[in-house]
Amino acid sequence: MIFVTYRKLFLSIAVAIVLSSVAIIAGLGLNLGIDFTGGSLTESSYDARPEKETVEGSLDTLGLGGYSLRESVDDEGRDGYILRTRDLSEDERVVVSGTLTSVGEGAVVTRFTSIGPVIGQELKDKALWAIVAVSLIIILYVSFAFAGVSYPVGSWIYGGITILALLHDVLVPAAVMALLGYFVGMEADVLFIMALLAVLGYSVNDTIVVFDRVRENLVKFRTEKKTKVIGTDSMEREEITYTLQKPFEEIVGMSVSQSLMRSVNTSMTTLVALLALYFVGGEVTQTFSLVLIAGVIAGTYSSICIANPLLVFIAERKIDKVNE
Amino acid sequence: MSNNNLKKEEGGGSESFIRKFHAVAVIAAIVAIGFFVYSNTTGDTTKYPFKLGLDLAGGSHLVYEADVSKIAPSEVSDLMNVLRDVIERRVNIFGVSEPVVQVERSSFVSDTIVERLVVELPGVTDVATAVEEIGKTPLLEFKLVDQAALAASEHVATLATDNASSGAQVSNVTVNGEEVGEPFIDTGLTGRYLASAALEFAGGSGGQLSNEPIVSIVFNAEGGDLFETITRDNTGENLAIFLDGEIISSPRINEAIAGGRAIISGGFTPEEARSLAQNLNFGALPVPIELVSTQTVGASLGEEVLNKGVQAGVVGLSLVIIFMMLWYRLPGLIAGISLLGYVVMMLALFKLVPVTLTAAGLAGLVLSLGMAVDANVLVFERMKEEYRSGKGSNEAARVGFSRAWSAIRDGNITSLLSAVILFWFGTSIVKGFALVFGLGVIVSMISALLITRTLLLALPESRLSKKTIFSKLYNSGIKINKLI
Repeated sequence: MIFVTYRKLFLSIAVAIVLSSVAIIAGLGLNLGIDFTGGSLTESSYDARPEKETVEGSLDTLGLGGYSLRESVDDEGRDGYILRTRDLSEDERVVVSGTLTSVGEGAVVTRFTSIGPVIGQELKDKALWAIVAVSLIIILYVSFAFAGVSYPVGSWIYGGITILALLHDVLVPAAVMALLGYFVGMEADVLFIMALLAVLGYSVNDTIVVFDRVRENLVKFRTEKKTKVIGTDSMEREEITYTLQKPFEEIVGMSVSQSLMRSVNTSMTTLVALLALYFVGGEVTQTFSLVLIAGVIAGTYSSICIANPLLVFIAERKIDKVNE
Repeated sequence: MSNNNLKKEEGGGSESFIRKFHAVAVIAAIVAIGFFVYSNTTGDTTKYPFKLGLDLAGGSHLVYEADVSKIAPSEVSDLMNVLRDVIERRVNIFGVSEPVVQVERSSFVSDTIVERLVVELPGVTDVATAVEEIGKTPLLEFKLVDQAALAASEHVATLATDNASSGAQVSNVTVNGEEVGEPFIDTGLTGRYLASAALEFAGGSGGQLSNEPIVSIVFNAEGGDLFETITRDNTGENLAIFLDGEIISSPRINEAIAGGRAIISGGFTPEEARSLAQNLNFGALPVPIELVSTQTVGASLGEEVLNKGVQAGVVGLSLVIIFMMLWYRLPGLIAGISLLGYVVMMLALFKLVPVTLTAAGLAGLVLSLGMAVDANVLVFERMKEEYRSGKGSNEAARVGFSRAWSAIRDGNITSLLSAVILFWFGTSIVKGFALVFGLGVIVSMISALLITRTLLLALPESRLSKKTIFSKLYNSGIKINKLI
């Protein structure tokens, strides 16, 4: 019951989390990778990594404009560099990889990626549209699935809260990404978007399962009263009104406790799989697993400490209004 | 439910036999699918290999943007297909196994429609050569055929195949005391001298079949003169026409042809003749293209990424199964079997659909291992409540499934809807992820509702009140309800 009883505390924490996430994202910004901004990435590896100054010295003569050269260790454990530059033409690419391979022994260019700015912009647009469309369809479906329990709060409120919880769950990993980008230079790439999309799926599922228990208990603890009314078209209709045998607050609180173990255990199994991915799964998917770990923790928090307390909070306001 | 109970007690023997039979059948099915995946992965040549994306297999991914601004909108999609055919032919000459060449149109999300050509070259990491090969103009060549040399070289080829098994080698073949030369002799006449090409239908005269689709070509003045010389000097010979190094047709020269007109006929379908005419007409490509994105991954790097991804999957799978067994004991073990069933079903689907596996897809699969047991967790939690309230284990399992159904249904339907939308909107890489995600949702539901349910109901009946070790295997975890 603590989650519902101390709902104002939990909701305040949630608001604080959301606001600071927004502040972090707005303040630091996401360190967008070339998937979004357009640009080129060349990764090279060597038997023994040459001095950074040497490499930079030869790169400076090429007139690439601003570039960043970072030391890297590829998945094979070979030392190398990752070079980020603006979007390179084919001729420039040949010159750059020639330069990179000439500075050290046993040099190989293991990866080259070049993405034009238009493709990056298109990816951004599509990701945004997808998220908006998914949110809309979720509100519609949840409103439909909870239409049977529109007392005391309308079924669309369940959908709306699902989206608010979703917003929380997506903002937190995005803020984590912004922090990592600022302090460690981690870049948000396509995998970051996919991690966010996965968080989206996880979050919705989690919230709906918790609401499902509320739905079940509402049906269990309500009494139906049918009354005959004459409608405006003077036809006789049956109107059903419900009364709850227990306070709404108590029913929701009960539901939270009953579904708590499930929420915790599912996030545990998901986290366990993600930790395996983070520690064993190689460099390429580390950002992906890190963002998801943040998202799953946020998702579990939101389904327990935001969704239901918020439901009671809204119901309270509504009942007060009716009483006035 | 009470009715059910009654029936169960009356005919308990046969019903429990049927349930055990179902359980054996389910496990046999898992083993069979597992064997299918295993045998199709380990062999050298398999009918259903895993399709690895370029980031795992190594290779190049090139994106070209086509400039269609000077083309009438109605012709754009036709010309893009011609472009794809041209590039595909060049890529094939390049000797790449399973290249992908496809037209991609930027979706309605963007303001302007951009036509793109995506070229994937598995195993090609020398992107410079690839780009050069793709970017060059198609080569139309006219070569004279030396019949004797052609016949000899064909004979040599046959001999070589026949002798290959015995290990003998064919070398230094001579015909009438002379060494066999190149059967096709360059004439110097190439597509460079072409003025225009058009699709026509033969009128039935001059030895042509009537209504056969042909391509008529017109040379420019210089080419016309050259053509006339060649045909005059070699009447009776065959003049082979090569496109990008491949022989297209080899018509006989019946007479000297003046005026710079020629006909290529080679049993074309109207479509083939039209696309050839278009190819020739545009000299180069039907639309100018520009390279906008390149991605290359070294083969060894890709292999390392793949190995680590698989390792992560095995570790993740083991950890999830151990967690489930520690927490839910006997039902947890069943969830573990069910999860193994999930994995083999997913892998089999990857092979059969086929789904192109990328680093992202692999990560998605590992993630789904943790999420796939969710339905099991939901059921087990409900089941535990019923079991603690004094119900028998079978009854508790049944109630657990029916109570958890609405949550499983709503959760999975929303996930499935999200997957469909992502598939709809996504760029190719997001599409792949959405596909893995969507398949995962469906398969995890099947594994929970079919495998877990069948196995759980086949277990012998038990009650908490019996207080045997077996009865304790159903009870588990801490009673959090009392704590909060």
